[in-house]
Amino acid sequence: MNTLPETHRRPLFPRGPSLGLRTLLLAGLSLALIFNDSRSDALQPVRSTLSFLLAPLVWAAALPHHLAAAAENLDSREALERENRALKEKQLLLEVRLQRMAALEAENRRIRELLASAARIDDQVLIAEIIAVSQDPYRNQITLNKGARDGVYRGQALVDAHGVLGQIVEVGPRQSKALLITDPDHGIPVEVNRTGMQTIAIGSGDERGLRLPFLASNADIKVGDLLVSSALGGRFPAGYPVGTVYEVKHVAGEHFMEAYASPAARLNQGRQALLVWSEHFHRSDEHDDALQAPAATTDPAP
Amino acid sequence: MTPTRTLVLGFVASLLLALLLQLIRLPELLAAARPLWVPLILAYWALREPRISTLFPAFVTGLLLDVLFGTPLGQHSLGLVLLVYLVERMRSIFILFPLWQATLALIPAWVLFSFLMFWIDGATQHRADAWLRWLPVLSTTLFWPLLFSVMETLRQPDDDE
Repeated sequence: MNTLPETHRRPLFPRGPSLGLRTLLLAGLSLALIFNDSRSDALQPVRSTLSFLLAPLVWAAALPHHLAAAAENLDSREALERENRALKEKQLLLEVRLQRMAALEAENRRIRELLASAARIDDQVLIAEIIAVSQDPYRNQITLNKGARDGVYRGQALVDAHGVLGQIVEVGPRQSKALLITDPDHGIPVEVNRTGMQTIAIGSGDERGLRLPFLASNADIKVGDLLVSSALGGRFPAGYPVGTVYEVKHVAGEHFMEAYASPAARLNQGRQALLVWSEHFHRSDEHDDALQAPAATTDPAP
Repeated sequence: MTPTRTLVLGFVASLLLALLLQLIRLPELLAAARPLWVPLILAYWALREPRISTLFPAFVTGLLLDVLFGTPLGQHSLGLVLLVYLVERMRSIFILFPLWQATLALIPAWVLFSFLMFWIDGATQHRADAWLRWLPVLSTTLFWPLLFSVMETLRQPDDDE
């Protein structure tokens, strides 16, 4: 079969610059954009405007998934009853735990007051819905349905019911993009819960989860250690679980060892995430950074 | 004037559809092998429709892809512009080929695009070492005959003008 259309004809006198010249111009422009965008934030407004315009497309692409989820909701009566029973049991369990939690919190407050410390145990939070997951398999990003209007700011920490999810990297008026802790571009200061050792967990970008490079070869860390977020760097609120160490690798003849941890948060499951206003970041922010919207200081609805 | 207008409308609609296909959520295993829908559709138009200039739309679509994927602005547009240039340059050779030969002859174009994405990711310090990156080249090659036939069937009524 011949791919030449019958109507094919090359214009005899093509107008405007030639194909090669136009390609050269556009390629040069692209290169300039890449250079600029990877080194500064100057193009951030362009990006937010475009992503606002593209929101319907993102929504449409997520539609099949949402429909499938909706179809799943049409459960049988029996399944619903079973689920109801399980939930009731779980609620009872949680209520018992909550009672203890209230007592502990009160005790904690009293002890903290004794120490004259200002740290609070209940951070201010806001629930956001995950509306899209990055479809580039080499970037772990999610899009949330809360933006600058809800007081979301760049660098804000994101957690779910099990641990730290990531942080906000891009804020639009009504939605924002977050980088997950497993993205190779992401690093988070962590503390080994058992020993208090501070280190940094870097995303590995694949199924290995988190990587803790450059540990001293005699560092006290072993499989099963819980990593919690550390307030060093002032970006993440302290004390949220980040991951559990599952492998410690000594390399013979190397000065450092490496550990791997699986993230505590359910990264690719669930539809909701919690935005946390980190007290540290918030305070220092008011002085030197205008990224923060005033709405962040008011208490949002839970 | 109407045929040109339907042509442009079809062009824009197919581009939007390609963007949508690029975004739809797939299971993790399939996602790595997702065909390069946008390059596919742009290559089709560059090859088949000399009446439409594909170069500038390729640039704009690239920017949209960059925003959607959170890559540095310009990464996908550079790849798409060079891809379209290559295909348009080769048009006079391509139109002599039967479909299966064209399918094979387009492989270097997909490799070029994948390599550019891989290279810019590396240059902007986004770690990129997975062999799975070359999987889309295979799936794109497999999808080319399908896309070509479907588009030809869809466009058949228009070509009578």
